[in-house]
Amino acid sequence: VSARAGWTRRELLGAAAGGALLAAAGLGSWRWARRRPAAPVFVGRAAGYGADLAGLILAGLRELGVARAEIAGKRILIKPNLVEPRRGAEHVTTHPAVVLGAAEAFLRLGAGAVVVAEGSGHCRDALLVLEDSDLGAALRGERLPFVDLNADDWEDVPNAGGASGLAAFSLPLTLRRADWVVSVAKLKTHHWAGVTLAMKNLFGVLPGALYGWPKNVLHQAGIHRCVVDLHATVRPHFAVVDGIVGMEGDGPIMGAPKAAGVLVMGRDLPAVDATAARIIGVDPARIGYLRLAPGGAAALAADAIAQRGERIEAVRTPFALVERIAAHRGIRL
Amino acid sequence: MPAVHDTTPFDADAAALEELRRRALDDGGFPERAGGRFCAGATAWACLACARTPAGGPLAARAAERLAQAQHADGTVAVADAHPEAAWPTPLALLAWQATGTAPERRGRAERFLLALCGEAEAAADRGIFGHDTSLRGWPWTVGSHSWVEPTALALLALRRAGRADHPRVQEGVRLLLDRQIPGGGWNYGNTTVYGSELAPQVAATGVALAALAGLSPAPPLAKSLAQLAGALSPVRTPLSLAWGLLGLAAWGIRPAGATAWLAQCRALAQRCGGYDTTHLALLTLADDPGGVFAA
Repeated sequence: VSARAGWTRRELLGAAAGGALLAAAGLGSWRWARRRPAAPVFVGRAAGYGADLAGLILAGLRELGVARAEIAGKRILIKPNLVEPRRGAEHVTTHPAVVLGAAEAFLRLGAGAVVVAEGSGHCRDALLVLEDSDLGAALRGERLPFVDLNADDWEDVPNAGGASGLAAFSLPLTLRRADWVVSVAKLKTHHWAGVTLAMKNLFGVLPGALYGWPKNVLHQAGIHRCVVDLHATVRPHFAVVDGIVGMEGDGPIMGAPKAAGVLVMGRDLPAVDATAARIIGVDPARIGYLRLAPGGAAALAADAIAQRGERIEAVRTPFALVERIAAHRGIRL
Repeated sequence: MPAVHDTTPFDADAAALEELRRRALDDGGFPERAGGRFCAGATAWACLACARTPAGGPLAARAAERLAQAQHADGTVAVADAHPEAAWPTPLALLAWQATGTAPERRGRAERFLLALCGEAEAAADRGIFGHDTSLRGWPWTVGSHSWVEPTALALLALRRAGRADHPRVQEGVRLLLDRQIPGGGWNYGNTTVYGSELAPQVAATGVALAALAGLSPAPPLAKSLAQLAGALSPVRTPLSLAWGLLGLAAWGIRPAGATAWLAQCRALAQRCGGYDTTHLALLTLADDPGGVFAA
């Protein structure tokens, strides 16, 4: 849709706030998890979208061992969930404040460039998607570029997963040229998949010009299998799940707002999704794509994930499930 | 949406034509974005826009010829040669060839391909899950997937102009669009209710569906959708939705009082997003025709 460069607040932000940010993130309870070596996931509290989200994400990055040396000069692609925005409905799509917070955090770690990119699953009009989600104004204000992945050029990449039977995925060149791919997802229930979190958010990278609106090719090949295959092929580097206000009930579009007051972050997307699921009272071992993920349910057991930041029990916010929805039955933790 | 006060009349057609001329590729095709590669959909829409005026005739003719070069032996005009399954630009190419009066043999092949192409029907649909009849066959975005609103509407537009209004596939496509109408009016990508929740309409999808149904459906079953679109359109200033909204209403003889100003405001906002895609520029030009380029 547009390609502009620049970052207006970058110069205004200093590194001196780091200590305060760690305190604000509520890290007093994270040390217990350090004994666990596998798949660390950070949970940070945020009371609302007016909080210092860049600081919270930066704190999470540091706790997860993402250092300046790893990010400096890198091209970061932030992929929000903008599946079908509705004006004034902040529970449907990733909130602009979380997108800007993630961008700011990576720029503060020295990222060379940040681009926000999405291929909306239900709406061809990317400019309308930006306006109705309020992300357009937010990005213009910070002079951050946005790319409509539905219309991006692509290259065909062999399917590295092999679960779905799809031979290859057509991945946008904007994604292929990024050094880091960051899934900035929304915490929602989902009427086909049970939940939609960091991994399923990757459906939105595929160009609608080849996969359609909705991306029905993936539904035909099996949603859970395609989630796992796409994750294996895209190999995202990091995830942030916006659970400040999520969606319960008949997600991913028609459910109700539910405030969980958290951001969930990590390098390992299955572990991030398993943690987010536990926070909303869903058993990750009963989510199809998580069972299919590398290591299966055993790798996502509660004691196999090193929880940093808030403890799950401290932020647990059960989301309503709908009995008549098949994908919701039997998934309650 | 910020106020845009400069709505001074100007020759929008000439300005759009000049912009399209600048974007044309050496081979006659058009990219979606300046500097990009040939895009069948963008080329078809640019062809349709250019064909409206004598000055655009040569550009339209070259675009039509480029689309002919892109046609596969089975009649498909696909998004890319490597992806013949992404066949949704085929009706757009057919519309372009109809508008330029070119490529009769190729038009025939495209028609035959479209009449043979079906979205995947799903038997034993559970109306408790989906509100629509999944056994009806329209057209898919990609071969092997379900039928959806926009590709079905585009196929109906092209086949109606080809004189195929009475063909059983066209009639079934009409039934599909009527069945996919959201109970409160309007269309989205193609689901009405799921698990009992009524989904929201979208302006662009509503516009393209209404344009497609002009001349193929009586008006009464569409009254809610016409009213819904007329009400939803006034704050919209993004080119794809605004253009399809106006095209859909115009197909039924409705021209909102603010249409000309809305189009001017939309054009004035182009620089805010780094300029519009070729498809958007072309659709805005077509939407500026008060007579409705898709009227029956």
